[in-house]
Amino acid sequence: MTINQLIFRNMKKNLTNYYLYVFALVFSVALYFSFVTLQYDPSMNEATGTIRGAAALRAASILLVSIVAVFLIYANNLFIKRRSKEIGLLQLIGMTKQRIFHILSAENLILYFGSLVIGIALGFSISKLMTMIVFKVTGVEGVASLNFSSEALVQTLLVFVGVYGLIMLLNYIFIKRQTILSLFHVKQKTESRVRKISIIEIVMGILGLGLIGTGYYVSSKLFDGDFISINSLFAAMIFILASVIIGTYFFYKGSVRFVSNMIRKNKAGYLNVNEVLSLSSIMFRMKSNALLLTIITTVSALAIGLLSLSYISYYSAEKTAEGEAPDDFTFVSTEDAVEFGDALSEQGIGYSDQTTDLVRAEVYIEDIVGADMGNLNFDGSWTSMAIVSDESVEDIDVSENETKFAGYNDAMNKLMNLADSGEIKIRGSDEEIEQEYTGISKIDVLPTFFTYGLPTAVVDDSVFERIESQADPDLQIQSSKFIGLTLEEGASKEEADEIFQSMEVSEKAGNTSQYASTQFQKQNMGLIMFIVGFLGLTFLITSGCILYFKQMDEGDEEQPSYTILRKLGYTRKDLVRGIQSKQVFNFGIPLIIGLIHSYFAVQSGWFLFGTEVWTPMLIVMGVYTALYSIFGLLSVLYYKKVIREAL
Amino acid sequence: MNILEAKKIHKSYGNKFMKQEVLKGIDISIEKGEFVTIMGASGSGKTTLLNVLSTIDRVSHGTIRIEEKELTGQKEKQLAEFRKHHLGFIFQEYNLLDTLTVKENILLPLSITKASKKEANVKFHAVAVELGIEDIAEKYPHEISGGQKQRTSAARAFIHEPGIIFADEPTGALDSKSASDLLGKLSDLNEKREATIVMVSHDPVAASYSSRVVFIKDGHIYTQLNKGGQSRQAFLKDIMKTQGVLGGVQYDH
Repeated sequence: MTINQLIFRNMKKNLTNYYLYVFALVFSVALYFSFVTLQYDPSMNEATGTIRGAAALRAASILLVSIVAVFLIYANNLFIKRRSKEIGLLQLIGMTKQRIFHILSAENLILYFGSLVIGIALGFSISKLMTMIVFKVTGVEGVASLNFSSEALVQTLLVFVGVYGLIMLLNYIFIKRQTILSLFHVKQKTESRVRKISIIEIVMGILGLGLIGTGYYVSSKLFDGDFISINSLFAAMIFILASVIIGTYFFYKGSVRFVSNMIRKNKAGYLNVNEVLSLSSIMFRMKSNALLLTIITTVSALAIGLLSLSYISYYSAEKTAEGEAPDDFTFVSTEDAVEFGDALSEQGIGYSDQTTDLVRAEVYIEDIVGADMGNLNFDGSWTSMAIVSDESVEDIDVSENETKFAGYNDAMNKLMNLADSGEIKIRGSDEEIEQEYTGISKIDVLPTFFTYGLPTAVVDDSVFERIESQADPDLQIQSSKFIGLTLEEGASKEEADEIFQSMEVSEKAGNTSQYASTQFQKQNMGLIMFIVGFLGLTFLITSGCILYFKQMDEGDEEQPSYTILRKLGYTRKDLVRGIQSKQVFNFGIPLIIGLIHSYFAVQSGWFLFGTEVWTPMLIVMGVYTALYSIFGLLSVLYYKKVIREAL
Repeated sequence: MNILEAKKIHKSYGNKFMKQEVLKGIDISIEKGEFVTIMGASGSGKTTLLNVLSTIDRVSHGTIRIEEKELTGQKEKQLAEFRKHHLGFIFQEYNLLDTLTVKENILLPLSITKASKKEANVKFHAVAVELGIEDIAEKYPHEISGGQKQRTSAARAFIHEPGIIFADEPTGALDSKSASDLLGKLSDLNEKREATIVMVSHDPVAASYSSRVVFIKDGHIYTQLNKGGQSRQAFLKDIMKTQGVLGGVQYDH
């Protein structure tokens, strides 16, 4: 038999071993290629045209390459381990290591480049789909006609040839290092010798928690004005990343082992089946697990953080637009409103309108503004605000000496840090009216055209009339009322917007369409959202896959243990239950720690992305947890198969 | 009283066209407190016999009763339940869990039966002293010798006082000193605890520690030897003589 035939037969025989590897390959190539295609596509120019956009894309693609490389190297490691016996056998019959390496490389070459072609084809269709989604979401006008870009192809090929070289190098080192005997035994080799717990480990665990805490603390100070120059900001970010990642590693390495050892000592050798399968197995593999769990945690935290931020920007787009224009269409003069209303009626679009009177006056709010106003260049003593009567706001009713604020978002709250109650004063030309401030409501009352981004003060009707009568003319803007048009349910906003845009009234300052405003916000945030969302999804799938592969590997390694346990009389159900608790740990701990990490990451900088934080962040966390759990379930299914075949 | 009764057991592997019959109708019964060795050449079906007797594998035909309980038609879960309470195992390759200490390994069978912790400690102490492994209780399997591993494995088999202990080539991977040590301990336990032991071995010396030897050839019982009142040395000679007659290869006449 010639070498070529041998290679071919080997491949046919090893299909079961290969499927994992091929999957990893096709997946990575498809992901990378679709990303690069988008990067090079001329129809994306509108989005990538800015320097910031281009830089973001480049940074993202570098990040993607490193993730893909780690992922492939990990898959390759598993793969070569599974075939160690065969390699030993070839050596035994007298083949040189060089020869074996050649065979392996040739096999890999066929596989690798086969998968590359499939991956590129798949990636092209994915990117086609993605562009359509991007256009749908961001509203960037244009046909989603994607061109097959040769630049993208070349870049993908270059990157993956590079990764191929790296993998071959690792394989070469693996083969070079092994003796015939150790190749036969590689599967049984235990990863780490269990040592007695040491003081160092306890110290390490505490140090880990300390480092994580420090990272969190610095992250909460990141945008509070302590780091002013770009360089110090950058240094602080690097410090946070390093301290949290190293801290996580120490935490896993020290604390987890320490805690499980305590539990185990407590049992005095008498373990039930759950503990046999979870506790002891986890402790036994803690050395390699600590690193892996750290990677998974970091990747998850990144993914959740990125996805949260991107969703925050998307979610906030609508909210920001609502803040800017509380009704579907807002007008600052009655004539404009009537003109537009007539145009709508002509087209048969039903609507209702509401007129709100307002006045601007200076309000003394220093008592209720939080401490960190310092960096806003505004002292809060006398602030010009828009004031409306509670009669024009449906859901708010205040008494004569009370004032409520309306139109609030998380970002404003973060900046102004308003108290829940306190004393304020409203200044007219003749008197200062003392009022009791009773809190802030999320209802948007006035467009930003009148409020300049600050909340609106809602007062009792009698108070409103008093202020109106003695209003300071210098503070007023050309209009003292706004007319909000709300379309009837089911009416097309898009159609109405078209009518609005075609009319002259749309040119006047203060007349806005909520629909157009939302579109504008989405376009603004669209590119960031797309890149970040794409990376987040990649991280999710990658971390899930790595964990799943690792669990497959562990399951195969532990099969003899299941055989013993089943012979001793443990039922399959007993074993599966034990495995489930082990998986809750293996998948749960990195998820929980990742969630906490990402929570702090989001808290430190979300206001750069949007105005709402809680709802979008919680939604992303929930969805991530659900998707991530799928990998945990898959791994339990795999274990079930291993256990079934164990006896 | 017979603790184990097997009648006409057949076991074959493969499908209709490629049938490999390993056991061809074996009748065997074992009394309570006996130490029986099953001997035979490689491929004679002795390990298969042990596997079907110990409910790890299923028979193709025939019936097996242990402690008056019919086992052949049982569901897998019921069999696991049965093994849990009534059977103990010692294997050639020790079959200890690498992730557990010696003590944890030994206590495994008790934790399935949900015995109390105090009771477990008392039992552990008793069996560990008898097998001389008390001082290595906190060690992991990779830190102890082969002989110690096999004694750990034996302790695990004895700790829950099962009706029958099945041992598959327990001395196969041991040096001769550790092997005779272990066999001495096994026959001690057999006498002291009145434990019934069924062992598979191809080593005549190992077999001579037992009270009865069953010879298997090509899936049939070839003959049986009883130790009776004779010394171990005399019994060993008998066994070797029989083994010589048994031979391994069939000649064409």
